[in-house]
Amino acid sequence: MIGFLTLLKREVMRFIKDALDTIAPPTVDVILYMLIFGLALGARLGEVQGVSYIQFMMPGLILMSIIRNSFYNPAYSLFQSRWDGNIADALSSPLSYTQMALAIILGGVARGLLVGVLVLIAALVLTNLPFAHPILVLVYGLSVSIAFAGLGCIVGLCAKNWEGINTVNVFLLDPLVLLGGVFYSLEMVRGIAVIESLTRLNPFTYIIGGFRGALLGTTEADAIIGLILALGLGVVLVMLSILLFRVGYHLKA
Amino acid sequence: MIVPAISFQHLRKAYRNLIALDDLCLDLQPGEFFGLLGPNGAGKTTSLHTIIGLVKPTAGRVLIKDLDAVRDYRQVHRLVGITFQEFVLDAQFLNVREILIYQAGYFGVSPKHAGSRADELLQQFALWDKRASRVQELSGGMKRRLMLAKALMHDPEILILDEPTAGADVELRHQIWEMLQDFHQQGKTILLTTHYLEEAERLCERVAILQKGRLLAVGSPKELARQRDQHRLEDVFLELIRSDKQ
Ligand SMILES: Nc1ncnc2c1ncn2[C@@H]1O[C@H](COP(=O)(O)OP(=O)(O)OP(=O)(O)O)[C@@H](O)[C@H]1O
Ligand SMILES: [Mg+2]
Repeated sequence: MIGFLTLLKREVMRFIKDALDTIAPPTVDVILYMLIFGLALGARLGEVQGVSYIQFMMPGLILMSIIRNSFYNPAYSLFQSRWDGNIADALSSPLSYTQMALAIILGGVARGLLVGVLVLIAALVLTNLPFAHPILVLVYGLSVSIAFAGLGCIVGLCAKNWEGINTVNVFLLDPLVLLGGVFYSLEMVRGIAVIESLTRLNPFTYIIGGFRGALLGTTEADAIIGLILALGLGVVLVMLSILLFRVGYHLKA
Repeated sequence: MIVPAISFQHLRKAYRNLIALDDLCLDLQPGEFFGLLGPNGAGKTTSLHTIIGLVKPTAGRVLIKDLDAVRDYRQVHRLVGITFQEFVLDAQFLNVREILIYQAGYFGVSPKHAGSRADELLQQFALWDKRASRVQELSGGMKRRLMLAKALMHDPEILILDEPTAGADVELRHQIWEMLQDFHQQGKTILLTTHYLEEAERLCERVAILQKGRLLAVGSPKELARQRDQHRLEDVFLELIRSDKQ
């Protein structure tokens, strides 16, 4: 257990010691979105699903922060450890491969939830969020965080260079999140065929919708589908990370 | 029968069509000081890495005190301390002392215990003044010493050292020799690789000479020299390597 906690501590200290580069930018970034889209433009958009636009977009922004930061920490940490060679320290220790994968994933969860909470606090300064189903909020936040930390772990193992990590962000994370209805409801894009169908096909629409429902009490997407998707994704991606560690993918010659 | 500290059994490693290790069979006795010698690319690092599971054997196996390096990797890792040929140091955000403490942590040593152990080793390896420095601020020789200290944090029974004196100045080399002899006296098994044959001659009870993954000779430096009417291990080495190439 000490071994596992040590590696987890390393993964957490890694971003805490560097908070100005790891925590501050994504938080500030999202606060800017809140100010521009929420306060400035949102005022002209009126109500969406029975809440003000700024309220409507907050759950998506919080989830977006959790996703990105849960992903980045394991992806960069693992890739850098492979790059520098110091991954060999963990690999030659008595840690099990499962422990290694889980510690690295939990490091990502810690960063994702920390940024998520900071963004939530900023959101509460700008508007009110009713926390309709607090337990569900927590379950959503946690399972999404675990899923994307798992993805980060996988990408950290698979990436061949630094750019590879960013590529995943641009081609996978951003489209999933942005076309998952962070900034609009299905109602708002009805008739714009491309956007509407992409949004309907996107599993994130249901996860973000469910999270929004939990936080605001709105009910566009089916909360249970979102939850099942989030939990399922978490389980699959974590298992896959553990599997890659076990076979030593890009870790052993 | 005594269980060997390390037993390479018909070990074979192929990288695509390059054969890095070819049916390597070799036993190290507990407490033995053993040198693995060979030209660049002979397969020294590859064989050391199979012990801790960084290299997956293509065929054959490695046993460490009867534990399988692949199957029983966690128990094996507890017994072994390793220094790598390259500088493997977690330099992302840790300072010198923290590197040692985290290393011990991975091996399950409690933080309190690790702190005093780190201080002890920092003094022993003359790194005390650098304890708060970043790795980037260390000289090559200091990094070598830090890697050695790191390998010793969990007080392993078996020490595996991949060119521990590469890049060390004369004085440091002598210091490292003394330390290694100390460990040897404490009964630890030591397996080292080196390109300095007088170093192997001075330290090792037995050496193995490897070329292209094949074992050319095993024995004590004296014995090997006597068999070939030579005085120095270096001459034995050159003779074996050259005649094997023909
Ligand atoms: N990851 C790898 N992929 C492909 N080939 C490799 C890999 N690692 C080592 N080799 C090859 O295996 C052979 C043995 O390499 P190894 O590093 O074990 O040699 P060595 O005896 O330690 O050499 P040196 O004295 O230069 O350190 C070399 O031909 C090397 O090119
Ligand atoms: Mg080598």
